[in-house]
Amino acid sequence: MKIKQAKQTILEVDMTPMIDMTFQLIAFFMIVTNFEQTQADERVKLPADKLARPPIVARQQEVVLNVGFDRNLQGEKISPDPVIFYGTEKIRVLDYLPRLQREYALADKQSGNAGDITVVIRADADVPTGLIQELIKMGQEAKFTKFALKAMSDDVP
Amino acid sequence: MKFRKKENDGKVEMQMSAMIDIVFQLLIFFILTLKIIPPEGDFNINMPIGVAKANPNEIPPTEFKVKLDANPDGSLNQLWFGGRSLGNDYPFCFDRLNNEIAQVAGGQQGYSDDLEVELDPAYNLHYKYIIKAISSCRGRMIGGTQVTYIEKIKFSAINKPQ
Repeated sequence: MKIKQAKQTILEVDMTPMIDMTFQLIAFFMIVTNFEQTQADERVKLPADKLARPPIVARQQEVVLNVGFDRNLQGEKISPDPVIFYGTEKIRVLDYLPRLQREYALADKQSGNAGDITVVIRADADVPTGLIQELIKMGQEAKFTKFALKAMSDDVP
Repeated sequence: MKFRKKENDGKVEMQMSAMIDIVFQLLIFFILTLKIIPPEGDFNINMPIGVAKANPNEIPPTEFKVKLDANPDGSLNQLWFGGRSLGNDYPFCFDRLNNEIAQVAGGQQGYSDDLEVELDPAYNLHYKYIIKAISSCRGRMIGGTQVTYIEKIKFSAINKPQ
């Protein structure tokens, strides 16, 4: 009896659905990724409000001040005194005037119209309002004139 | 002359492995760089330096005072509009403030440039209450659109604790 030699077959996996899905995932991540350099600090727990909407036209120049509390991993306050987060540094709010003056002088030297710069204050929901007023006053002393207070967009009851 | 029969019937196979490698690298890059930031909005505060020069031809805006007293722990003790108490039942007292502002600003007709609100918060009052007060004075959301009542909002002098 003659045994027919089995023809060698190569199993080909159909890759088309996987490639489709991968491209869709890439398109999704490309759309949602924000490469804009934000100066928002995650340690600041902003209050939320319905009326807080992002500005229609993004500001050209702004100085963002992140005022918050030193918190542990569970989100509990380590220190009751609020500080300004400046990169890795933590500066007392009332000691911030020299830095604001330096910021103004630098912006004035670079662009010549430092008066257009808005000081954006991102403060933790529990920061005393008096300190925010002090910060605005210090900003005025450093010759800034425009101020904005940040809040999260959606209202969380 | 004998011709050899072609086996692949003219079918060209694309080499996909290189493309899949790149695509997966791109996917991993985008997954790792994704940073979810909740949308933030802001409220502009009108804080001119020094006292504004009085223009004799210009009618000064009508000013309303909103005072916020605080408990020692920083929570709201009492909300005042003019000389009238609006209570301290957060957040409903701010709804009452919003209604009062709507009345003085002419209902839901839009914002008036002749009105100004001065916020007078206690020093230790938590920031979230002042944001709520600013929001109540600024306007309200009606059917997904914002109706603005008062644009000019400023702070009073700092109430430093004794």
